[in-house]
Amino acid sequence: MGYQIKEEKVFNSGHAACPGCSEALAIRYVVNTLGPDTIGVVPPSCIAIISGPQPLSSMRMPVYQTTLESSAASATGIARALKAKGNDHTKVVVMAGDGGTYDIGFQSLSSAAERNEDFIYVCLDNEGYMNTGAQKSSSTPHLAYTASTPAGKLTPKKNLAEIMVAHRIPYVATATTGYPDDLARKVAKAKEMKGLRFILVLAPCLDGWGLADNAGPKVSRLAVETGVFPLYEVENGERYTLNYGSKGTPVVQYLSLQKRYRHLSQAQVEELQAEANLNWQRLQGKLS
Amino acid sequence: MAEASKVVPSIWTTGWTDILNTGTWRSAIPVHQKRLAPCHVACPLNSEIPTWIKLAREQSYQEAWLALVADNPFPAITGRICHHPCEGGCNRGEYDGAVAVNALEQYLGDLALREGWSLPQPASELEQRVAVIGGGPAGLSCAYQLRRRGYQVTLLEARSKLGGVLREGIPQYRLPREILEGEIKRLLALGMEVRTNHPIEAKDLDSLEKEFFAVFLAVGAQRAKTLPQFPAVDARITDALHFLAKVSQGTVPSLGRQVVVIGGGSVAMDAAASARRLGSQVKVLALEDRESLPARADELAEALEEGVEVIAGVMVQSVVSSDEGIRLNCIGVSLAGTVPAAGTVPAGVLEPILLPGTEFIVLTGQVILAIGQEAELSGWDSVFTVGQSLVKVEANGATDRPGVFAGGDVTTMERYVSTAMGQGKKAALSMGEFLRGEFPATGGSGAEGPDPGAVVSYQEINTFYFPPTSRENKGNVAVEQRLRDFREIKIGFTSQQALTQAERCFSCGHCMECDNCFYFCPDMAVVKDASLPEHYHILDQYCKGCGSCVEECPRGAVVLKEETR
Repeated sequence: MGYQIKEEKVFNSGHAACPGCSEALAIRYVVNTLGPDTIGVVPPSCIAIISGPQPLSSMRMPVYQTTLESSAASATGIARALKAKGNDHTKVVVMAGDGGTYDIGFQSLSSAAERNEDFIYVCLDNEGYMNTGAQKSSSTPHLAYTASTPAGKLTPKKNLAEIMVAHRIPYVATATTGYPDDLARKVAKAKEMKGLRFILVLAPCLDGWGLADNAGPKVSRLAVETGVFPLYEVENGERYTLNYGSKGTPVVQYLSLQKRYRHLSQAQVEELQAEANLNWQRLQGKLS
Repeated sequence: MAEASKVVPSIWTTGWTDILNTGTWRSAIPVHQKRLAPCHVACPLNSEIPTWIKLAREQSYQEAWLALVADNPFPAITGRICHHPCEGGCNRGEYDGAVAVNALEQYLGDLALREGWSLPQPASELEQRVAVIGGGPAGLSCAYQLRRRGYQVTLLEARSKLGGVLREGIPQYRLPREILEGEIKRLLALGMEVRTNHPIEAKDLDSLEKEFFAVFLAVGAQRAKTLPQFPAVDARITDALHFLAKVSQGTVPSLGRQVVVIGGGSVAMDAAASARRLGSQVKVLALEDRESLPARADELAEALEEGVEVIAGVMVQSVVSSDEGIRLNCIGVSLAGTVPAAGTVPAGVLEPILLPGTEFIVLTGQVILAIGQEAELSGWDSVFTVGQSLVKVEANGATDRPGVFAGGDVTTMERYVSTAMGQGKKAALSMGEFLRGEFPATGGSGAEGPDPGAVVSYQEINTFYFPPTSRENKGNVAVEQRLRDFREIKIGFTSQQALTQAERCFSCGHCMECDNCFYFCPDMAVVKDASLPEHYHILDQYCKGCGSCVEECPRGAVVLKEETR
């Protein structure tokens, strides 16, 4: 591993995530990197389940469970209250799913970004409403099966990272659980910054994507190496840095591990390959 | 009903989830365990290859060499001439080329000779005396393993010097004399009695048994096979065994301009390439076709480079010998479908199908027969069972005469130096059991191979953690230079090459404490524990049995064990 992970024990064992859950692995590196002097904001999601069945908690830090549409607004309030009290050390972090970020929580996130509120927003993106039985969200990729897109989703995944870049906030990064050191480094970097910091973490859902219990990290790395989900950072909406990108691995290697893609025809696989190529090309144009 | 006033607590959380037992969810639990690497299993000496390569990678070269010589006293020799089945078994072979184990072995072996490192003396001396008959690879390996364990070893060698096939069979351009002398000298420094010019016959066994507690017989295969179509007595017809022995002794026979070598194995290539170095034009006539010659591909390639002409798929039907020379009447043959399966007895018996119309004539002044050799066992069949011209032994090297063991070419048709050394080692271990009175009635140690699941397969390697790097081979001396003399033709690794190649080892089944199992656990159920030899333990209370640690282990050192409750 390229970066030496430094963990503080905030996240507890005994949580209710499924065996092998990538989201739980991501939470480990988010909260254990931020440390106990952090206030969490969690909307309804798997993260709410993982954070603990009341009255128990899996995180040794205060966690506020808010409504699905208002994570960023809640975090705004907490961050401003801390500032009003003269507390300049406690960090505020939102941990929300893609439903609570791309769809239902998007308005409050966009306006908080526009105001450059001082908190970290981590979207744990498993590309659907996996907690309620795997319905599609606007993060669900093109042609992926969900309970509400039985023949495959007809439209492409919303490019939230670029939408956040367009807000010109201090820091936008993509990360995924197959590279825990890269994820921990990005959280540690965000921790040292001010203003709205947004980290989009691809967190494969074993059940929702149709994966083996041990396949989370592997499929996450394939998403990167095929160019489907490159890992990069953008500072102040301008300065792009690529961390891990396409190695030219065919997209079919990524798709074939996942049952949500098993209905694809050869032509559809080629279509997704072409889309991945185009997206990867576009990103490369922004690097330099 | 009156509205009861509800008291809302300021803090809802009263405790942490770590009081919960998520371990009850699982049906399998990961276990960290040292597993067998395929190279180790393929090695006739069962060398701890991942262990010594790891030490070499850390540049702890002397420790690496010590780990290597625990199983093999001659790494500078086997690093040159071993047929290296380890590389055939290497999991990296399926990825980007096998690790250059043989060249790394030579690197360490040569370094040890240069640095003058000694073999470790036995920890304690034992009084029991043992005899090893034959100072070739099997005998020396057996003597070494017995001496390491403290036994008083006497080596009985028929020739004037130790080494056997290493000295008399393998040409010096493959195994330089100073390397051989260096390795033998260091072995003898462990302290053993050597009786050279001391041939042993079957009738001597009784008196040996009075003098020694156990005997190991490894006299090799000394009798060259002949072909009925060749005249038995003709100075112009010799066998490769005698020819190579003379070359190694420096009593160079005059060969004449044209030499024909009959045979397609390693010995035939050695004889042909030696004759080339003595200035002759050489033709090799082999029964097998080019693709299935028993010689190793690199040996064949070297011979061809050196100008040896190889005519494959032919046999000599008749021989006419006159004052002008020897006339070989040859014919093309096909062996399709007649090649006996490996391991069948007698191995090497081929029934060629003649191809009419392909007859041709070869005229030559000298013929060297290199069609194999047999153990000379006349008389020995009265002291133990001999079958198919081999001494019959158990898997542990024991003959059916108590206290008498055998190994090397007298017990197997697999004519490899390393195989013989492996048998010597195995027999030494069995002799130790015998001398301690722990000997099993039959069978015994090493009778069964390892359980297939115990060996790490390529599918268990997580190649993400091993970026592709290319394999390097030993260098070759230019052909013109090679033909000038008998100097070594291979160039060993530089220290930089050795390091780069050592870094390619997957270390199959050997934990390198990379902490992947720790970092990829979503349940924090893997704990680093320096007090344990396996470096980690699993928290039974929390592990949900997902197997991510197994999958993310780069090298198959964690396995999932099913649990039943």
